[in-house]
Amino acid sequence: MNSGRCAACKSQRRKCPSDCIFSPYFPANDPQRFACVHKIYGSSNVGKMLQEIPPNLREEAANTLYLEAKWRIEDPIYGCVGIISSLYKQIQNAEIELAKIQTQIAFYKLQTQQQVIEAEPNMEVLQSQSSNMEQFEVDNLFEWENPTIASWFN
Amino acid sequence: MSINTSCSGSPSGGGGNSSGSGGSGGGGPCGACKFLRRKCVQGCIFAPYFDSEQGATHFAAVHKVFGASNVSKLLLNIPVHKRLDAVVTICYEAQARLRDPVYGCVAHIFALQQQVVTLQAELTYLQGHLATLELPHPPQPPPSPPQPTLGPPTLSISDLPPPPPTPATTTAVPATYDLSSLFEPMAQTSWAMQHRPADVPRQFFSGGTSTSLPSSGAGGSGGGDLQTLAHELLRRHGSDPPTCSSAPSSHSHSK
Repeated sequence: MNSGRCAACKSQRRKCPSDCIFSPYFPANDPQRFACVHKIYGSSNVGKMLQEIPPNLREEAANTLYLEAKWRIEDPIYGCVGIISSLYKQIQNAEIELAKIQTQIAFYKLQTQQQVIEAEPNMEVLQSQSSNMEQFEVDNLFEWENPTIASWFN
Repeated sequence: MSINTSCSGSPSGGGGNSSGSGGSGGGGPCGACKFLRRKCVQGCIFAPYFDSEQGATHFAAVHKVFGASNVSKLLLNIPVHKRLDAVVTICYEAQARLRDPVYGCVAHIFALQQQVVTLQAELTYLQGHLATLELPHPPQPPPSPPQPTLGPPTLSISDLPPPPPTPATTTAVPATYDLSSLFEPMAQTSWAMQHRPADVPRQFFSGGTSTSLPSSGAGGSGGGDLQTLAHELLRRHGSDPPTCSSAPSSHSHSK
């Protein structure tokens, strides 16, 4: 319920009708909000835009219009494109950091795996004597199981 | 489409395009005056930026959203060598608003903020995991990745639609956006990168306090990237950026 005029009608110095399209979204206690949108868009354009939007979405529309107007007043040249650009940079920086950390994690995981392998005693013996042992075992097997065949290789 | 970045904004002389030199000895009215069906006078502020062909289309969007008078006042308060950038970004905002009457280009900003939040959450998780790997004791199982709801407390993640594949376009009106975070200028812990506060662009053009949503400030000389971005955003919207049709004058436009 409007006990008085909304910020738009106060600004325009007119009577605020009961079905004023601005009054739900530009209350009298926040004159700066309407001042921003009026400065950038003009009250006529704002009214037309709100009229074309379903009533349940008008509040969102009024909020975004206010935001864009505010950003444009703060930065008359780039407006919200400045914000978009800085967000892109944030994303880029975050992706670079992520890549660095993922590389570090991969490095540490490799190190851990290496340590596990080196800690195994059997693995050490095998690594140090692998070539000799393999030949020795094979030769022995052949001799014990197939003496005839083994003699061909000797 | 080429952008004449050396435009000085002065309508004197014939430009590369057919008309736009303020109606002086050339191809007729500029796109803005053509749209408005008025005489394009010498010194028309729109002439350098809205040629008589595509310029009229761009201007139609700008006029519908902002109004010719408001744009004219805006441009008059901007240095001449920055007016092309301003026109490009105004065209972008106008077209974004026409495409999405409810959210305009705020939808794009919101999607980007979502990405930032998600990346920050992922960074935090991985940094924690890295910390456990660096410790001398056996590595512990990594903690479960944080849910995206680790973002700012006022953000209703569940209400948000997925970010659009092409960030500049919004093809569908989302159900709701929780815009309350965008209204909080100093909620820096919500949006600023937790570990790199120094890199957060605070005032875009001048140093200032860190804000949740990096606010842009007037002035400054770092407009080259922004100009490129503004042009790219307009192209993604399917329209070519406005051109500057004046002859180059004493103007250096950074890129």
